[in-house]
Amino acid sequence: MKTIQVYDPALCCGTGVCGVEVDQALVSFAADVEWAKGNGARIERFNLAQQPLAFADNARVREFLEHSGQEALPLILVDGAVALAGRYPRRAELARWAGIAQPVAEDKPSGCCSGGRCG
Amino acid sequence: MYFLEGPPRFLFFTGKGGVGKTSLSCAAAVHLAEQGRRVLLVSTDPASNVGQVFGQTIGHTVTPISGVQGLDALEIDPQAAAEVYRQRIVGPVRGVLPEGVVAGIEEQLSGACTTEIAAFDEFTALLTDSALTGRYQHIIFDTAPTGHTIRLLQLPGAWSGFLEAGKGDASCLGPLAGLAKQRTQYKAAVEALADPLLTRLVLVARAQRAALREVARTQEELAAIGFTQQYLVINGVLPPAEAARDPLAGAVFQREQAALDAIPEGLKARPCDHIELKPFNLMGLDTLRQMLTDAPSTLEVSPDSPVALDAPRLADLVDDIAADGCGLVMLMGKGGVGKTTLAAAIAMELARRGLPVHLTTSDPAAHLTDTLDASLECLTVSRIDPQVETARYRQHVLETKGKPLDAQGRALLDEDLQSPCTEEIAVFQAFSRVIREAGQKFVVMDTAPTGHTLLLLDATGAYHREVARRMGNTDMSFTTPMMQLQDPKRTKVLIVTLAETTPVLEAAHLQADLRRAGIEPWAWIINTSVAAASVRSPLLRQRAASELQEIQAVAHHHANRYAVVPLLKEEPIGAERLHALIYPRT
Repeated sequence: MKTIQVYDPALCCGTGVCGVEVDQALVSFAADVEWAKGNGARIERFNLAQQPLAFADNARVREFLEHSGQEALPLILVDGAVALAGRYPRRAELARWAGIAQPVAEDKPSGCCSGGRCG
Repeated sequence: MYFLEGPPRFLFFTGKGGVGKTSLSCAAAVHLAEQGRRVLLVSTDPASNVGQVFGQTIGHTVTPISGVQGLDALEIDPQAAAEVYRQRIVGPVRGVLPEGVVAGIEEQLSGACTTEIAAFDEFTALLTDSALTGRYQHIIFDTAPTGHTIRLLQLPGAWSGFLEAGKGDASCLGPLAGLAKQRTQYKAAVEALADPLLTRLVLVARAQRAALREVARTQEELAAIGFTQQYLVINGVLPPAEAARDPLAGAVFQREQAALDAIPEGLKARPCDHIELKPFNLMGLDTLRQMLTDAPSTLEVSPDSPVALDAPRLADLVDDIAADGCGLVMLMGKGGVGKTTLAAAIAMELARRGLPVHLTTSDPAAHLTDTLDASLECLTVSRIDPQVETARYRQHVLETKGKPLDAQGRALLDEDLQSPCTEEIAVFQAFSRVIREAGQKFVVMDTAPTGHTLLLLDATGAYHREVARRMGNTDMSFTTPMMQLQDPKRTKVLIVTLAETTPVLEAAHLQADLRRAGIEPWAWIINTSVAAASVRSPLLRQRAASELQEIQAVAHHHANRYAVVPLLKEEPIGAERLHALIYPRT
C-alpha cells in the first residue's frame, strides 16, 4: 500500500470552515480523505500553520516552498514523489494512488463545476 | 463568609474586570494561609495586579509572599504563554523555510484562539501536575473576566470530546495538533474542574441588575457543563449608613437593594456573601485582612472636600460625530461598561437632530430593548444575536457545502462547525452586512465584549486577505470591511471604560490590539463616573478622588479625545434619561 502525504497551506482547520467563505474544495477533500482512509488508504496531512517542521524536514517539500511559494500549496506526495501540486486530488485520484479497487461513484464533474460556483 | 467555609483544593474567582476578583482572591489567600494552610495564588488575568496588591514583583515563577507564612503566588500572562507556544512551533523552522512562509505561519498563530489555548495549557499543568502543586492545600485562581473564563472552562470539555473522537487531523481547535500528546492531562484537568469535592467556583459581581443577570447566565452555562459547586459574592455594596448622607448615595443604595431583591432565580439557591464598599483602596496586607470583616474600619481615610473635575461631556463628542453626516460609530469595551446604553444614547441624540441612524447591537446580554422604549422617526433598531447567527451559519454551511458529502463527510463537517471559531465567523458575517449601510447614514453599534471583538477583527483581516487574493491582489479598487474600519473618515471607534484601574488597563489593551490591526480609536468615554457627579457622602467622595487619577491617565496617556459621563441617580432607561447622559444636569 502506498503512502499519500498531503502538505496543506496554513489552514485553521482541515475542512476550512473557519474561512469567511467556506472553501468547497477543502470540504470535499476532507470527506474524500475520510472515505479513502475508511477503505484502507494510508494518508497523512500536514498543516503548514501547525506542523511546519514536517515541511522543513522533507527536502522535496522544502525546495517546492522555496521555488513556488506557499501560494502553490497544496502539494501531494505519493511514496515520497510529487504526484500533484496546486489543487486537491479528486476521489478517483486518491483511489488510484492508494490502489482502492472499489468503484468510485458520483465523482464525475457534472457541468462546469461541482459546487455550482461557476462565477 | 460562606465562600471560605470548608474550601476544597481549587478555588476559582470569576467575574467582570473591576468587580474585585483580584482583591477577593488575595484576601482569601491571606485568610487561608493565616489559618495555617499552604496556599498558592495564581493570577491568569492578563491585567494582573496581584504583585501591586502585595507590593512585590511576582511574575511567571512561584514567589513567596513576604509577611504571610505559607502563601506563594504566580502570575500567568496568556499573551506570553501564546508567544512561547508560537516560538515552539515556529522556532525550529526559522531560517529553514522561506521567510515569507515563516511570517505567514506566525500570523496564523497570532489569533485569539492561540492565546486561549496556550493559557489553558499552562492552567492544566497547575490542575494536574502534583510535582508542582502537591505541597499546597489550596490553589486559588484569580481568573480572567467572565466571557474568557467561560470559554477557558468550556474548552476542556470540547477538547476531550474531540480528542476521544480521534478524528485526527486538524480542526479549529487550532494548535491542538501540537498539544494532543497530553490528552490524559487535559482529561484529568476537566475531571478536577467538574469534581465538587475538588473545585469551588466563586462568582463575583456588583449589586447591579445587568451584572447580576450576566452572572446568572455564567452560572447556568457553567452548571450545564458540570461545575455545580458555585458560590456568589456581591462585592462593594454601599452600606445603609451612607445612603442618608446625600441624594446620589441614597439613589445608589436604593438601586443596589432593588437589584439584590430582584436577584435572578438561578442565583437564589447559591450561598451568597455581601461585602461592603470599603473606604480604602485594597493595597497591602492590612487592607486585605479588613476586606472580609464587617467590623468598622480602622483605616478610615475620607476626603472632606468635594472633587473638582473639568472634563468634556458626551455632548461634545456627539457634536463632532454629527458634523460628518454619516458613518460607522462603534462602541468597544468589556462587557458591563455600558456600551449598549451609550450606543443607544448617541443614536437617539443623532436621530433627535434629524439625522438617519441605524442602531444595532451584538451584545449577548441583549438588554438594548430594556434601555430603549421610545422610538424616533429617523431611528431604526436591530439586533445581532450571536446564538441565532451561529445556528443560521451552521445550517447554511451544512445545507450548501455539506450537501454533496456522504454521511461520513457530513459528520466531519458537522464536528468542525461545533468549534468555538464558528460563532465568531457567524457574528462577523452579520456585522459586515450591517456596516455597508454606513455610506448613507449613521450606523451605531455596540459590539460584544473584547474577546469577541478581537476575533471579529481577526476574521475581518482574514476576509481582507481572502478578497485581495481572489482579486489578484494588486488592484485595490474594492472595499473590504477591514478597510472601512481602518478609514477614520468612515469609522469612529469609541472605547468605553470605567474610571477604575482594571477597566482602564483592559481598555488600553483593547486600544493596543486595535492599533495592531491598523485601527486608531477616535475617542474614549469614561462611563458612570462618580467624580463627574456631585456627592457629599464620604465613601463616594473617596471613590471620586480615586477616579481622578484614572481619568487623568485616560486624558493624558490613552485617548485622542475623551468624554466623562456621570453616574446618574436613576438607571438610564428610556429616552429622557438617555438624554441626560448626553447633557447631564449639574
